[in-house]
Amino acid sequence: MLKPANPSGFFKSVSQVVSNQLNVGKQIAVLPKSSTVFAPQGSNSLTALSRSLPSGNVTISVGPAVSSQVRWAHTDIQVPNWDNYRRDSTKRTDVKNLDTEDTRKNFTYLMAGALTVGSAYAAKSVVTQFVSSMSASADVLAMAKIEIKLSDIPEGKSVTFKWRGKPLFIRHRTADEIKQEQAVAVASLRDPQHDNDRVKNPEWLVVLGVCTHLGCVPIANAGDFGGYYCPCHGSHYDASGRIRKGPAPLNLEVPHYEFPNEGLLVVG
Amino acid sequence: MGLNETVYNLIFKRTSTMTLACIASAFFFERTFDLVTESFFEKYNEGKLWKHIKDKYQQ
Repeated sequence: MLKPANPSGFFKSVSQVVSNQLNVGKQIAVLPKSSTVFAPQGSNSLTALSRSLPSGNVTISVGPAVSSQVRWAHTDIQVPNWDNYRRDSTKRTDVKNLDTEDTRKNFTYLMAGALTVGSAYAAKSVVTQFVSSMSASADVLAMAKIEIKLSDIPEGKSVTFKWRGKPLFIRHRTADEIKQEQAVAVASLRDPQHDNDRVKNPEWLVVLGVCTHLGCVPIANAGDFGGYYCPCHGSHYDASGRIRKGPAPLNLEVPHYEFPNEGLLVVG
Repeated sequence: MGLNETVYNLIFKRTSTMTLACIASAFFFERTFDLVTESFFEKYNEGKLWKHIKDKYQQ
């Protein structure tokens, strides 16, 4: 950078000298060194005439293509003011910024944390609502259970109920039937299951009345094994609902049920 | 000042503790928020809900 030897000479180009906040050492405009032209001395001597000629570095300082205007940094350049964007604690003159740093950071992180907590809550609500909309509604759930008074079913009878759109067989087994089914060799069965695994109370057999072959409804107290017989393709089930003969591959399905108190059965 | 410094160093300084704090407060926030909105809803619909008129139809 060119450091002017005589800076006051530059200030002559403005009408008023105003102190600015720019570093004086850094010049914005670099002016060409002005060449000195001596005025003729009123003599026509050789020396006088030669002095009237331009000498040194001849440059054009005035003309249409040359900017002769010099602008200096004035008060018309506004120093940016960021006060509106600063935290109040940074504007205080009695405290160091470093001392209030934690307060400012805490505020920022607290806002971010509050947003996170709110978003987490909203996201969880959305997911919960969506998932619960796929579950069974209250009216369906109300129909999903069936209560049966066991005293209405005499011993040795199989009664059919409608449960979840399917027939449900409740069989009050006699002591003979229980003994007979308990004695069956599990290894000889197509779908090996001991009678104890299929009933909670040996007196009561609870099975779905849907043949595991193609879904017909078997007939109670029929077939070769004294249990159920499917008329469609001739599957024989015993008094424990197990497949003994015919095309069906599996035993009759046992739904979830329980005896909440004596004489009452709840299926579902 | 002292409290701010403690809170910052304990919770906000590390991402792990910040996440943990967010999850923990989300748990409590959910409980509180649900309770407040639910009670507001019931107060706003006083006398219209089944549990308010249940006595008239059931013994």
